[in-house]
Amino acid sequence: MSQLSGAPLLVGAVAYTPNVVPIWEGIRDYFDTPDTAMDFVLFSNYGRLVDALRAGMIDIAWNTNLAYARSVLQTDGHVRALAMRDTDAAFSTVFVAAAGSGWSGPGDIGSRRLALGSADSAHAAILPLHYLRAAGIDVEHMQLKRFDSDIGKHGDTGRSELDAIDAVLAGDADVAAIGITVWENIGRGDLMPGTLEQVWQTEKYSHCMFTALDTLPESVSAPWVAKLLAMDWEVPAHRRILELEGLTRWVEPHLDGYTGLFEAIAQQGVDSRW
Amino acid sequence: MVVMALMRIVEQLAEGDTAQFAVASASELELVRRWCAKTGNTVVSTMMVEQDAGHVTVGRGRPRDPATMIPADRMPGARLWLYTNFHCNLACDYCCVASSPKTDPRLLGIETIETLVVEAAAWGVRELYLTGGEPFLLPDIDAIVRACVGQLPTTLLTNGMLFRGLGLRKLRAMPREGFALQISVDSSTAEVHDSHRGAGSWKRALAGIRVALDEGFTVRVAATISAHDDPALDELHALFDGLGIPRADQVIRPIALQGVADEGVTFSRESLIPEVTVTAEGIYWHPVAALDADALVSRQILPLAPSLDLVSDLFAKQWSSMTAASAMFACA
Ligand code: SF4
Repeated sequence: MSQLSGAPLLVGAVAYTPNVVPIWEGIRDYFDTPDTAMDFVLFSNYGRLVDALRAGMIDIAWNTNLAYARSVLQTDGHVRALAMRDTDAAFSTVFVAAAGSGWSGPGDIGSRRLALGSADSAHAAILPLHYLRAAGIDVEHMQLKRFDSDIGKHGDTGRSELDAIDAVLAGDADVAAIGITVWENIGRGDLMPGTLEQVWQTEKYSHCMFTALDTLPESVSAPWVAKLLAMDWEVPAHRRILELEGLTRWVEPHLDGYTGLFEAIAQQGVDSRW
Repeated sequence: MVVMALMRIVEQLAEGDTAQFAVASASELELVRRWCAKTGNTVVSTMMVEQDAGHVTVGRGRPRDPATMIPADRMPGARLWLYTNFHCNLACDYCCVASSPKTDPRLLGIETIETLVVEAAAWGVRELYLTGGEPFLLPDIDAIVRACVGQLPTTLLTNGMLFRGLGLRKLRAMPREGFALQISVDSSTAEVHDSHRGAGSWKRALAGIRVALDEGFTVRVAATISAHDDPALDELHALFDGLGIPRADQVIRPIALQGVADEGVTFSRESLIPEVTVTAEGIYWHPVAALDADALVSRQILPLAPSLDLVSDLFAKQWSSMTAASAMFACA
């Protein structure tokens, strides 16, 4: 339990939009039974969130995939994954180009100017390169255009992906690597008719994860996780939170979806902090 | 690229906050609606100055309380519309209540109006709107206006063509404080206006505006724009500016597909933020749908409070279960 003894379970998250406050107040209010009572604390970046988890300042961190991987690496694996969004269990990166390009597959990306999002965004910078390399592309010699906005927030704000799309629309890049959620939010291009088309999509991988140290007793985490998984899209009060947080239901951890990320971190020498 | 603007701006708004976006076509407005439906955000209002161009206000998320997004003066029950009568000296081709000289007047009557406005004020209505038909065809319109203004700020919608003789005397007998006239002018030159509203009507409407201004009244102007006409909005605003009418008092909106209109924007009860409307035939959801059986709230006009409560409740339920967005349609 966190060092604030006697206090309810303390969950840490990163403040990447003003809505993080209503989201977490809604989640806190939802955990209304004595065995699941919780409070939350917000950090300005994922580096500090992982520090706080390791230091025992918080019981559970709402981690991005990169923050989860760093929690694992920095504790020699002494963490436990608790739950994720349904959208996190089937995340992917989509490569998009101007409509009419006719390009398809990684081979058509390798020779083109590629716009990437924030360097600490797994889905918009780290994994796109990893999966291109895995597909046989010589990424060392690719022309990359990076949009390193909002560093520390692991791409949560989505701004760097929009910058990458704008670069394609302006003709400053040929292809942009974006997360599937941004692609879905523009209706896979349907909501921007005649402007973008998909060139390639990576395999599915895992994204955000509620993470605890393995010292958090199962008797404490289990009721909390059970209550989390019981949130129901059909209940308007729950739905409001689920919509703001971008999911339809919470699910059990899918850990095999992190294999690619651990490989990418090692290969690319990704900084162990931020 | 309205969707890129939505992605950048709305996603960073706090829940309940709103931002306004320009849309240049009906299909772009549709994209905004679809994006909001997809991303769990809310189209709060559309202010289309033409059939398919204008502004759309988008709110972040779907707050439990619509009052965080909808301005207080547009919340259900803030405005009460009274159709004083349905007959008119004109027979405009887009009239949303099919008025003409031959239309059955269906008078609301001053006694009913007096009772209604007292109840409205007690309930919490903030503003009254008198419309028709042409209210200046009523011999007691000045007394009706005084009864309303005695309770709440009041706007009278008129075609402005009857400010002569008896009509002028009635106008002069109306209060200057707490009262405004809203006069219809659809175009900057006579041609378009007259093609919908009848030969000579533009000239007389403009003369009416000048009379009302000279008499010291607050005058707002309202233009109804057909998709088939060149809206020439700059010229229209220049005309209104030249009359000394502030931009905030220049209402421009498309034709609504109601009444005798054979074109126009369509609404359903679910897609309109209600503005409770009383006619001799009953209480309706919105003044643009005062003949529409689907928009009928109650056949019983008095007491008024139950209908105001009912509309507020229905809207609150509609809001909380909302997947389609509600929109304001500017009659005034
Ligand atoms: S639009 Fe107004 S002026 Fe024209 S017929 Fe209808 S009520 Fe009369």
